Amino acid sequence: MIGSQLDETITKPIAVSTEGIHKSYRSGATVTPVLEGVDLVIRREQCVFLAGPSGSGKTTLLSILGCILSPDQGRVQILDQDISTLDEQARTAIRRNRIGFVFQRFHLIRGLTSLENVCVPLTLQGMPHHKAASRAADLLDAVGLSHRAHTHSHNLSSGECQRVALARALSADPDLVLADEPTASLDATNGQEVMKLLRRLTTEEGRTAIIVTHDQRIFPFADKVFHLENGRIAETAGSTSTALLESER
Amino acid sequence: MWSIALKTLIADRGKLLTALVGVVFSIVLVNVQGGFFLGLIRKASLLVEHGQADIWVGHRKMHNVDFPRDIPQRWVNRIRAVPGVKRAEPYLIGFADMSLPSGGFEQVAVVGADQASLLGSAWNVTQGNPLALARQNAVIMDECEVQKLEFPKVGTTREIGGRRAKIVAMSHGIMGFLVTPYIFTTYDRAASYLNKSPDVCSYFLVQLEPNANVNRVCEAIQRRVPELDVFPREEYGWISINYWMTRTGLGISFGAATLLGLLVGMVIVAQTLYAMVLDRLAEFGTLKAIGATERQVCSILLIQALAMALVGSILGLLAVWGIVYFYSTPRAPIVVPVWLSLGSCLLVLVICLVASLLPYLRIRNVDPLMVLES
Repeated sequence: MIGSQLDETITKPIAVSTEGIHKSYRSGATVTPVLEGVDLVIRREQCVFLAGPSGSGKTTLLSILGCILSPDQGRVQILDQDISTLDEQARTAIRRNRIGFVFQRFHLIRGLTSLENVCVPLTLQGMPHHKAASRAADLLDAVGLSHRAHTHSHNLSSGECQRVALARALSADPDLVLADEPTASLDATNGQEVMKLLRRLTTEEGRTAIIVTHDQRIFPFADKVFHLENGRIAETAGSTSTALLESER
Repeated sequence: MWSIALKTLIADRGKLLTALVGVVFSIVLVNVQGGFFLGLIRKASLLVEHGQADIWVGHRKMHNVDFPRDIPQRWVNRIRAVPGVKRAEPYLIGFADMSLPSGGFEQVAVVGADQASLLGSAWNVTQGNPLALARQNAVIMDECEVQKLEFPKVGTTREIGGRRAKIVAMSHGIMGFLVTPYIFTTYDRAASYLNKSPDVCSYFLVQLEPNANVNRVCEAIQRRVPELDVFPREEYGWISINYWMTRTGLGISFGAATLLGLLVGMVIVAQTLYAMVLDRLAEFGTLKAIGATERQVCSILLIQALAMALVGSILGLLAVWGIVYFYSTPRAPIVVPVWLSLGSCLLVLVICLVASLLPYLRIRNVDPLMVLES
């Protein structure tokens, strides 16, 4: 069963691919290379983890895949679009319309309720308020937080905050969800809950998820794990995530 | 964007309150300082403004209603003959000493108006009858000046210029720019108090026929009495105001104080907005990361600045209204016209927008990467 599912995944179209990505940070005369020729292919509906020690380049790679940073060299293709040469405006548009972000520290907007936080990406897209609120309510329901829709973010628990952040990431109906250490600020139970939600995005909603994590407890949720070391992909491993998810249902 | 901007603004209640204090401070300062200034400076044209004359005719180069030069009284007939003139009357202003019960004297400005028409005489009479000026030795003074004149009442008799003067009525709020109280009486009586010949006067006050064009009549009068200056009421009022403005530096001192207040208000608003932005850098970074454009981020800041300007202006104007209601007196009037209030709101709006420039520059440099690195 696992083998057939992996085969099925391999036949899916490519969601993200990189070729020879290089990225360095400059501080005065000092140049620190962070990525040194990263090649990877991620197919649609895959849940892929980027793992590796601190300083290995995971966050930088995620930032490039999220159109926040541009590579110094190499080619990046996201959802059939070459983003390597796009200007800031075009990259902002891709972030707004096609990518959902989940951050380690949630980064919900203070002063807004859960519902309003989920509405933010839709507001940025220019959606009328009543439509945005209706979609946000559906998403909060999907992450099990409809009863907390009108609660301000500072009154939510960490687990609830991350689920709101996840709902926010999905509100603009993105094809690609990028998560940066989504379980790092959560306890084991909440971490598992969030990962189940993230995993369902790929299996049930056909989205692609790329997750940066150190948390080995959640590795079973991945279809593929890319281990980065010294700015390069050192190892790629498959996983039994779908089976795990099925077993937990 | 409005919703995000306003809700995040309200969430920071402490900082919002500080910024509002800055805006309210600016509004109150501009209006009260401006109101005091206008109240004070309008005293300089009080007689012109309330004199019921459409045109003032006086000595060439006349520059202040309170400091006239003598002109021949007989020239009034030339003016009366001008088409469009309904009435022209001589008017006398001069200074004399009033005796006080304590044995001292107080200088007063004696104003003499035509006895029949009382053109340019006292207004807003609250005690006695203004028509009683027809009685012998009758004068009208202002009740706000009673302290200076050692508390006379209606019916009290004093001496002005060594001649008897009986107070038959009192007005309220006729206090000129000078410290000398106005004493209104008839033209002839004023001449005797001022020890002047009845052949001279200070001005001719002219009332126009209905539908007469003030500028054309002015030109016609000027042609008839080329030796004199002829001004419509508003113009002479401004000339009198301008006299004090240019010769005392009053405008500069009031203006400087107002400017300083505005500057302090701007610094408070700018500092608070900046502090709010610094507090929320990660949130602005988040917005940028999830696809907010520079314009959208900027609009959040602008909306917040606008909201602060609007709410602060409303609160400030309410405070100004309270101050005017409770503290404006004839001695220190606070005159806040609508244009001053609207102008101050506009000014504060500009200040808030300028104040948001500094935090905007900070936000522009926010890298969305920061939310991934935190």
